[in-house]
Amino acid sequence: MKTRSIFVVVAIIVSMAGVGVLYAQDDAAKKENPPWLEGINMPPHPEDLSPVLPLKIFMENGEVIPATLTEDVPITLVADTAIFDAEPPAEYNGTEIPNAKWSRNAAVSWFFIDWEKNKNVAASSTQQMALNQMVVTPLNPTGKGAITCHIGRKIRYTDPVTGKTRGTFANASVGHEARVIDITPPTCGLEIMVEGGRSGTFWVAENPPNKYPLPKMADVYFSGALVNEADPGAITTVQGVELGVAMVVKPEQAALNVPAGSVLKIKVNGEDNYKLDTAKLKYGICKNSSGEPIPVSAINASEIALADLELPEDPYLYVDASDVSGNRQVLYVPLKIR
Amino acid sequence: MKFWNRFWFVVAVMMVCASVWPVYGQDAAATEEEAPALPESVDMSLGAVNSEFAMPEGFRGQETDEGDLRWLEDVGILMAENSDLYNIDANAIAESASFEGPPNINWEIKKEDENGNLNTESSENTNVASNPCNITDPGYYQVHNGGARQVSTAGGAEGEAVGGTDDEAGGEAGGSATASTGAEGDEGGAASGQTSTVTAQQRVGIQVYDCTAPDVWIAFQEGAGNVNMAASEEALKAQMVGKIIENLGKPFSTDAKDFEDASYIFIEEGKDDERNSIPWEKTARLSIAGTLFNERGAPKYESGKLSSQIDKKEYTNHVSVIGGEDKSLKGVFVRRNVPFIIAAVSTDNGNKRASAGEVEVRIVDANDKEVERDGDAYLFRVPNYPRSEYKDQPDYYFTTQAADKDGNLTTIRMPLYIVNTQAAFEGGRNQ
Repeated sequence: MKTRSIFVVVAIIVSMAGVGVLYAQDDAAKKENPPWLEGINMPPHPEDLSPVLPLKIFMENGEVIPATLTEDVPITLVADTAIFDAEPPAEYNGTEIPNAKWSRNAAVSWFFIDWEKNKNVAASSTQQMALNQMVVTPLNPTGKGAITCHIGRKIRYTDPVTGKTRGTFANASVGHEARVIDITPPTCGLEIMVEGGRSGTFWVAENPPNKYPLPKMADVYFSGALVNEADPGAITTVQGVELGVAMVVKPEQAALNVPAGSVLKIKVNGEDNYKLDTAKLKYGICKNSSGEPIPVSAINASEIALADLELPEDPYLYVDASDVSGNRQVLYVPLKIR
Repeated sequence: MKFWNRFWFVVAVMMVCASVWPVYGQDAAATEEEAPALPESVDMSLGAVNSEFAMPEGFRGQETDEGDLRWLEDVGILMAENSDLYNIDANAIAESASFEGPPNINWEIKKEDENGNLNTESSENTNVASNPCNITDPGYYQVHNGGARQVSTAGGAEGEAVGGTDDEAGGEAGGSATASTGAEGDEGGAASGQTSTVTAQQRVGIQVYDCTAPDVWIAFQEGAGNVNMAASEEALKAQMVGKIIENLGKPFSTDAKDFEDASYIFIEEGKDDERNSIPWEKTARLSIAGTLFNERGAPKYESGKLSSQIDKKEYTNHVSVIGGEDKSLKGVFVRRNVPFIIAAVSTDNGNKRASAGEVEVRIVDANDKEVERDGDAYLFRVPNYPRSEYKDQPDYYFTTQAADKDGNLTTIRMPLYIVNTQAAFEGGRNQ
């Protein structure tokens, strides 16, 4: 008897809690506004008629847009929708649109969205193209992206209730999922410091950016007292180096000059336009400047004592870096020991 | 007592069942049904939030397209939009759908050109559903909001294949497990869930009205001495047209040495930080350059800010320059017996100062009677300056006026003095 009473009370509490949870969920959904809607009190649907029409986008040759695109490689796309028809639709979702006429030209916008960063880039073309065409060039690799197309056109029609002319927009938009593969090697460099605080840095920048067709090109920049003792702030540029596995700076172009017997403190500046494969990153001193680096120092050592090494006549600093897509950079920079 | 205990027991059990069942019911439904198709796009509402500065229908006597808004240039108006894409959950997009992340939101302003093409003026990826829109040039525009969001659906077959409990198969867990399927056409197929970019968009047409007085350049060029005088007023105008467009109405130089061939009056909207102020706080910049703006003929370049008068009904602006003895611009000083020409051109922000038009200039007496030219140039044979010495000679005034099609106005009226001799320019005093 007593046990039953307790069970009854517990059951009522549980049931009330269950109902409460359901109500709480509903309340939360009603009250919370996500950050992008903060301060906005507008219904999600237009008050007046505004037709949303189907839109198809495809390749210039009529084929389906690939699900995998390549960075910096332009594709020409075509949009097909009733917005380009001579007359607007006479009805929408069962509602008549009397005396509908286009009143202005269609406006078209294309974007590439990188969903990993939630950033878009508006597509534009300097080429003269038909209104329903656009060249889209994905500039950055992404594992999750989308091409979107938005088209709108003003319609004038007779309001069936008031008989007055009204204006509205017909809209059409669509998205196509696409990932973009990385074809640009990493752009890594090193920072070297010796006793007394003197340092030298070299780094790589893709130039021109987004070049296609391959090969990618880059400039290698040098600065610091170990590069130019008279003017440590000056930047020396070695231009037009092919970005890849054979980036060799010649001694007459630039070099890092270090005192014999010094201890080098080395820091790597790892850069890639998408994702660097840090497990494959290697740097140090090597004895060659072509083919695979042949290290003479410990790989990835943060300190190298030159006195401990068997140095060749012409040693090089090297950086060997790969990104997760397998693009590889091997850069050789002359190391002069005085 | 026993009866009541049993009764309440039965009621309690029923309430527990009633409260718990819907939750399980939802999950079960999600796992058993096919993943619903996602729409490619959904509709969107878009409009102005603060409409206190929007103009009424028939503003300035003009008809606008039905549904279009009427704005004044340089007045920022907050736009806002909403769509089912921006909800917390994706139930309004499709049953059992879920959002993969926040939406991508883009605000774009397009301007209609003379051929009716709508060209992008600005494009901002803000990821926020409201945006202050400030359009700084008159014309017809469309404000466009484009939204997109990744939406996934949980397919029954896919959810079960992933394994685990019923809880895991439904809702968010099932959806994210199939994130790579759908449009990419990887493993999974049509029966499984999909992830798609669902879009929405809306536009608003906006007629933007001009509230800026036109820029005006006036050149005075004498035909004596070593100055290489332009062959005619037309040649001088052509030279000015090129420069006023190139410099967007701003003076082409601030160095007095560059004004030895001709003296200039420049009236324009001002330096970069002075331009595009709101219509009721607009100013203009008056710059004078050359030798003809003082009685000594000393070359100079001076510049200052002028206030502008707004018509409170039509919101048109009037920039008025009045010269005189007690003003910063005393007048124009030309030499007697030396012919001179005047050329004036004007640009307007209505077409982004892309073209220049001719402006009529006049020299009148105190009774507003126009002084005729002597052939191709103006020529005065009798001095009237200093006025105290030549009281019997008439007052002369230089006047000009430039108006744009919306009625914004720039006017100049200043004394024209005829100085006795060239000594005024060479020796610093009159003969």
